[in-house]
Order: sequence, then structure tokens, then C-alpha cells
Amino acid sequence: MSGTALFSIGVRALAANYAALQTTGHNIANANVAGYSRQRVELETSLGQFTGSGFFGRGVDVATVTRSHNQFLTREAATARSLASADAAREHQLSQLELIFKSGEQGLGHATGQFLNAMSDLASRPYDSATRTVVLSRADALAQRFVEAGVQLESVQRGVNEGLRASVDAVNSLAASLAEINNRIAAARGLGQPANDLLDQRDRLVAEISSHVQIATIPADDGTVGVFVGGGQRLVLGNRAEKLQLVGDLFDGSRSAVAITEGANQQRLGSAALGSGSIAGLLRFQNEDLVTARTRVGQMVAAISEAVNAQQMLGLNLQLPPGSVPSAAMFEVGDPLALPASTNAKDLAGAYIGAVTLTVQDASQLEASEYRLQFDNGAGQWRLTRLSDNLVRLVNSGDVVDGMQIDITNAAATDQFLLQPVTRAAVGMRALLTDPRDIAAASPLVASTGGANSGTAAIGALTMVTPPVDATASVTVTFGAIDGGDPSGRSRLYDWTMFDSGGNPIASGSGSWAAGEPLPAPPDADINGFQLSLTGVPAEFDTLEIVPTPYPEQNNGNAVALAALRDKALVGRDLMADGSFAGGATFTEAYVAALSDVGVRAQSAQSSATISSALASQAEAARAGEAGVNLDEEAARLIQFQQSYQAAAKVLQVAQSVFDTLLETTT
Amino acid sequence: MRIATYSVYANTVTSLQRRQGELQRSQEQLSSGKRVAKPSDDPAAAARAERALAAMQRAEADQRALEASRSAIQLTESALANAGELMQQVREQVLAAGNPTYTDAERSMLVQALRGLREQLLGIANRADGVGSYLFSGQGSAKPPFVDTPGGVVYEGAAGEARVTSRESLPIAIDGRHAWLEAPNPVPPANPGDPLNPPLSVFAVLDRVIGELATPGRSNDQITTTVQDGVRDLDAVNSHMLAVRARTGELLNRADAVEMHIGDAKVGAQYERSLAEDLDMVQAISDFQNRQTGYDAALKAYALVQRMSLFNYLGG
Repeated sequence: MSGTALFSIGVRALAANYAALQTTGHNIANANVAGYSRQRVELETSLGQFTGSGFFGRGVDVATVTRSHNQFLTREAATARSLASADAAREHQLSQLELIFKSGEQGLGHATGQFLNAMSDLASRPYDSATRTVVLSRADALAQRFVEAGVQLESVQRGVNEGLRASVDAVNSLAASLAEINNRIAAARGLGQPANDLLDQRDRLVAEISSHVQIATIPADDGTVGVFVGGGQRLVLGNRAEKLQLVGDLFDGSRSAVAITEGANQQRLGSAALGSGSIAGLLRFQNEDLVTARTRVGQMVAAISEAVNAQQMLGLNLQLPPGSVPSAAMFEVGDPLALPASTNAKDLAGAYIGAVTLTVQDASQLEASEYRLQFDNGAGQWRLTRLSDNLVRLVNSGDVVDGMQIDITNAAATDQFLLQPVTRAAVGMRALLTDPRDIAAASPLVASTGGANSGTAAIGALTMVTPPVDATASVTVTFGAIDGGDPSGRSRLYDWTMFDSGGNPIASGSGSWAAGEPLPAPPDADINGFQLSLTGVPAEFDTLEIVPTPYPEQNNGNAVALAALRDKALVGRDLMADGSFAGGATFTEAYVAALSDVGVRAQSAQSSATISSALASQAEAARAGEAGVNLDEEAARLIQFQQSYQAAAKVLQVAQSVFDTLLETTT
Repeated sequence: MRIATYSVYANTVTSLQRRQGELQRSQEQLSSGKRVAKPSDDPAAAARAERALAAMQRAEADQRALEASRSAIQLTESALANAGELMQQVREQVLAAGNPTYTDAERSMLVQALRGLREQLLGIANRADGVGSYLFSGQGSAKPPFVDTPGGVVYEGAAGEARVTSRESLPIAIDGRHAWLEAPNPVPPANPGDPLNPPLSVFAVLDRVIGELATPGRSNDQITTTVQDGVRDLDAVNSHMLAVRARTGELLNRADAVEMHIGDAKVGAQYERSLAEDLDMVQAISDFQNRQTGYDAALKAYALVQRMSLFNYLGG
């Protein structure tokens, strides 16, 4: 046993306690650093020295500095944060989106109501130019509101693109840092001790990347981690980082998609594959919520415009002489679009060979959706997928589906198209009329009951369903005996004759009118373009006269029909097999549905965001509970190691005095 | 369980922010008086409020249309009342003309009076409605609808009834041709089952009576026949016009009923809208105070917790 053993023990103890104090200091210093894991010095007893009297301890050694870290909790916290930031991104966008769907006097619904109610006022005063001017200004206001909504929806889309760009840039720079840190960790690994602070930094980078995009991490043997996105695409491997790229949507360049480049290859990442993170949240908002909002607004615009235009064009305006200028459409809307995929076959000049043309046949049947068109090799037909509900139908060129006609020319079997029948309708809406006289308030025909009628029949309404065959012709309907063919006894036979302006008969027909049903009865859809509804009951020999309107400036027939559009279910109705219509909503209902749909989306996004952010905080608290610094604990340790340090110093002092004693004795 | 000092502070700050946010929202609701400011606050209520707003808008439009109809029908009713009085005078004059002691000259005085009455009646038939149209213009007439022609008075407006679009479809101009020119003929058809005899025109009846009475040198029998047939036809047209007048009265009653419906609908819609989106003040104030208390407690807790540290007890 050498006389210096005590010295050696004291020095080691001093060094070990100093190291512990240093580490505690480091912990205190980093208490507020996000992602910092507290460190501790691992001490171990030096192996004893054997003597004849047994083993004598040789003091303490510093084995290593470890960080308090739970890989499971760290991963949990990162995953929860990823989900929370996806929800937060979507919620933020939806809260922007719902501002466009205003309720009350600023809303689209109110503007629609104002416009159609102005038609009711026009019906009360068809000759009044002030009332006509009001109708025009309401039409203008309606178009402007919809255009505004359309423009705002586009600017929300641009906001999404910018948000995605920021996230993609952030991921790229974080991935580059992570690759660099991987490199340094691998280098430090050779030293045989863990590089705690580098590992913390890497965990933090992993967490930050996963707040933008969901990732999978796989540790490698050399201490680095591989980071994968989109279900297996390499983002970081060892010291090499790949780049995410923001690219245009395959069909619609104004929308964004995310791709990853691997060497020369560019691989698009589907929003489902991206999982969570703000990028996935934004893409989900773009592809689901925003598309729904845009198509719902577009559907309303298309339906209102067509219904008003069709009725307006059936009426007579005030241009003189009456009927000389056909009544023109009141609104125009943005055209339906069929967008080719950027991968479709192109000719040598780079233009697409195949093309699809969309034509709206009946705007009241248009659905609030976009469609994907692909060739189905098995069926030998085109497969049309309605994206709002994934309904698949097989179509051929020229077919009419959901109110739109699809014409396909020269398309290759590998071509794909995105059909947007209404997506851009709102932005292109415009009120076309500027002259109050152009409003067609008058009906081209008027109906009256014969003077000698003995029944109670009166004209309920005369509705033009198509333009008259002969605008100058008059029609006389004469009722006959009760129809014996109808056992309920509710029907009366009638004959009609059409006379030209000279009073010569030019057409005639007959039918059986049933109480409560329009005249003419099926199969005739109209006589000279009109359909009559009667109140009361006609008697035998009773007549009805339908003549060209003598004074269009005083007639309100068409204004009444325009005002009646308020109560018709003309948005998104379905054509049944027998030619009748089912479903559909009035304009008011359509807007109410759009508004509450956005409201429900925003509300549920809010509650998911609240829930997932609470979960993320909990997971972070659990991680921090394991890894974070507690200052009270560090204070206790400071005292602990300070005392140990003082004790070790005392050992040195004793060793010195022992040594001095020895020296004094020997001199 | 360990707690990281950092997350104690971070959590406290987060929860303070949350409570402050809630307080702020309560305050906004209290100052705006609205519970639903945007659809996501309560999508179902927002939808109800929007529907109610449309119903209110609609009720206002219906009310305007109703007023237009009512004012036109009121004028029509009073025009028909005037016409009824004149018709009564006509009847009296025609009966007087039947006096067998009258000479042609005396009768011609009555004929003059009858011509004057006819002019007045035509004036009433062509009365304007004061807002750019005619009371009896039916489905529209740009000029006075009854035109005095050598062949008698003809109707040049559009026959039938113009209607406005209120809650129910209400007439704004009644069918002048029907009212003035198409009284049912009191003479029954020759054989049962035949079509009815052609209807009578007020003016045609008058013209015939005046024409016959003005013809000099007719026998008393002829005059008696004229007066008898004339009075029969005059009674027929008069009762027809009374029926038309009764219908205008009934229309005015109906307008009142419709107005009540519209009023009820509007009040109902206002109530519905308020129910859907307005704030329950008592509830809101109580919520606000709760949140205020909660925020206050959170602040106090923070102040207490941040003072507690082992460092405060060490050394010194």
C-alpha cells in the first residue's frame, strides 16, 4: 500500500464531484432549452487493490455522462405534435374559408333573395322604370357578391400554396441540418462516448420535421438515423438529405402537390401517404374542404344563372316594336373546364392530343363536385368518378351525366382528365343587362276565360315552357263532356285550335284535363309553348283564349314566373328514369346547406385541433417529465455534490497532514 | 412523477392564454349580443338563422306586393261603387222614359241624361290607377282599355287578370272585359243543353236602350217593350257588376287575411332568427363571470407557484 493512495482517492473524488457539479450546472443552464434532455454523470467505484489483508477501495471514477431520454416518449411526442400541426393547419384555413360564407345581410343568400324579390316588385309594377333599374342593380350586386366569393376562394387557394411552400422549405432546411448532425454523430461515435447534446439536437430536428410532415425514423448501426416520408420515400439517409418539392397538381396547375426528388426521379406524394403534419393538413384542406366550398358556390351560380336566363329568354322585353329584339340572357358564368393530366399524350409540338369538352345541358342537375375521367380497359369505356362521393359510372363520348355533356376526342387509353363543371363558375359570373328595358317582364302570351263561360274556371297562371312556335298565333281551348275514361270523374275532355294572325286555323288537338293538373295534359308538354294552370272547374262549352300579349310594357307574366323561381328546387336535382326530377334544393336552401357544411367542417376542425393539441401537450409533458430539467432537483444535487466535493477536499487535507506527519517523523 | 420546470411554465402560460381567449370571446359575445358570429360557432343555428332571414326578406317582398294589390283593388272597388250608383240612375231614367204620357221631345231630355250617364260610366271603366296603369286593364293595356267605336264600346286591353306574387297570388288589375262586357245573358238558351246566349255588355245594353228611346214616332207598346227588355238587361248587367264588386270586397278581405299571415310569418322568422343566433344575456353574463373568476384564479396560482423554488431556501 503506497502512501499516496489517499491522495489519489481524494483527487479522484474531487474530479468526480466537480464533474457532477459541472453537469448539474449544465442542466441548470439548459433548463429552458426546448428539447434539452437533462444529463447526469455516471459514477462508478474503482476496482479495489488486493493486498494480503483484502481488497482496498481506490475511490471513484467518472464512467460517462448520460442523458435522461426515453426514445418511446420522444417518438410519441413527435407523432402527437405532427397530428396536432396537421389539425391546426386545416383549422386555420377553414377559419379563413368560413369568412367567405357570411350569414345575414352580407351573405350570398341575402343577395340572391334580394334579386329574386326584386322580381316580385317588378311583377307589381312591370311598367315602372325605377323598379326595372332596381332589378338590374340587384342583378349586378348578386354577380358581384359571387365574383367576390370566387376571388376570395382563389386567394384562400393561394394562401394554401404559400403555406405549403413555407413548410416544404422548412422541411428541406431541417433535413439538411439533420444530415449534417447525423454526420457529426457518426464521427463522435468513434470516441466511444455518446454525443448527448448532438443527440438532443437531432431529436429536436426530427420533431420539427414531423410537425410539417409525418416521418418514420430508422436508426442505423453507425448511430445515424434514416428519415423516411410518404410511406417509404427517403428524406435523410446518413449524411445525405433529399429534397421535397412543391409542384403543381397533376391536372390543375393552380393547386399544389408535394413531390420528392430522388436522383433524377420525381415522385409525387399523395396527401393520404403524407399522413400528418402541416403539409398533410394543408393538402387535405385543399383537396377536400376547399374543393367542396368552391363547387358548392359554383353549383349555386350555375343553377341560378341558368334558371333566370332561361325564364328571361322566354319573356318579352320592352324594346320596340314588341318582340323585335329577342330577350337576352341576364347572367354569364365561368365556363366548365376539363383539365388534362400533365402526363397525357402530347404531339411533337407539345400540345395535348386528346381533349375533353364539357357542355352544361341542364344546370339544375349539376352536382357540387369535380370528376375524374380515366379509361377503363376492362369495360372498354371511360370511367367517370364523381370525387365528392366516389360514385363511378361508365360513359362514352357524348353522354350526358349529372347535367353535363362529355365529349371526348382523340384521347389515348392512358389519358386522364379532371372535369370541373362548376369550380370556376363564380369567378366568371357577370350581369349582362344594362338597359332596364331589356328585362323581360312580360309573357309573350296571355290567357283569359271566355265571356260566356258558366263554370268557375279561372286562369291560375300561364307559364311559358318553351318559346312559342308562332308568336302571333292565338289558341282557343273548348271544354267538352266529362271524360268517361277517368273513373274518378275528375277529368273533362277538351279540344284546342290554334289560329294564325289572320284567324285561320293552323293546328289543333285534344286531350283530357284532370282537376289540379296543368293544361295541356300529357303527353303534350305545351301548346304553342305555354302551359296553363287553372283554378276552379270549367263547365261544358267553356272556352279559354290564349292570345299574343297586346301590351308587353304593361304585362307582368314573365316577372311572376321569374319571382316563382324562389320556390323551385333548381339546385342539384336528379333526373329520374321516367323523366321527372327528384331532390334538389331552392336557392335559399342551397346556400343554407353550403353555409352549414362549411360551419360543420370548421367546427369539427376546431375540436380536432383542440383535442390533438391537448394530446400533443400531454405527450410533450410526458417526454419532458422524463427528460426535462427540474430546477428543484438540480438545486438538491448542487448541494449534494458540493458537500461531496468539500468532503473530498477534506480527504486531501487529511492525506497531506498524514504525509506531513510521516515527513516530520523521518527527518 | 418528475415535472420539468420548463413545462410547468410553458403549460401555465398556455392555460393562461386559453383562459384569456375564452374571456375575450365571452366579452365579444356580450358586446355584439350575438351568440353565433360565424357558422362554426353553431352550424345548425347559423343555418336556422339564415333560413329565417330569407323568410323575413320574403315576407317583406310579399308585403310590398300585397300593398300594390290592395291599393289597386280598393280603387277598383270604389270605381265599381260609383258605377253602381250611376247604373241605378240609368235604371230610374229608363223606367221614367216608359211613361206613356211622355212625348218624343220629353223623352229626348231623358235620352240626353242617359247619354251623359253612359259617358260617365265609360270614364269609370277607363279610370287610371294613379301609378301608370288602368284599373280595368286586366293583363295590361298601354292606353284606356275601353274604346268607343261606331260599333259600340270594345275592349282593347288584355283580358284576364294580372296577378302579383304575394304569399298568395293576388290580382292587381281585374279583368275589365269580364266586368263590363260579359254579364250573363238573362235570356235562357232556346233548348236545354244548348250553349248559353252571348253575354251582355253594359254599353251595348245602354246603347240599345238609348238608340230605341231616341227613335221618334214609336208606339207605346214598342216603348214598353224597350223599357221592359232594357230594365231586364240593365238589372242583369247591374247584378253582374255587383257580383264583381262583391268579389273585390272579398279580395280586400282576403288581402287582410294574407297580410296577417305575412305579419305572422315575419314575426315568426324574426323570433326564429333571434332564437338561433342571439345571446341569452343572463347565461352570457354568468358565463363571463365564471370565466373571469377562472382567469383570476389561474393568475393567482401562477404567482404563487413561481415563488416556490428550492433555491429560495438555500444558502443566503
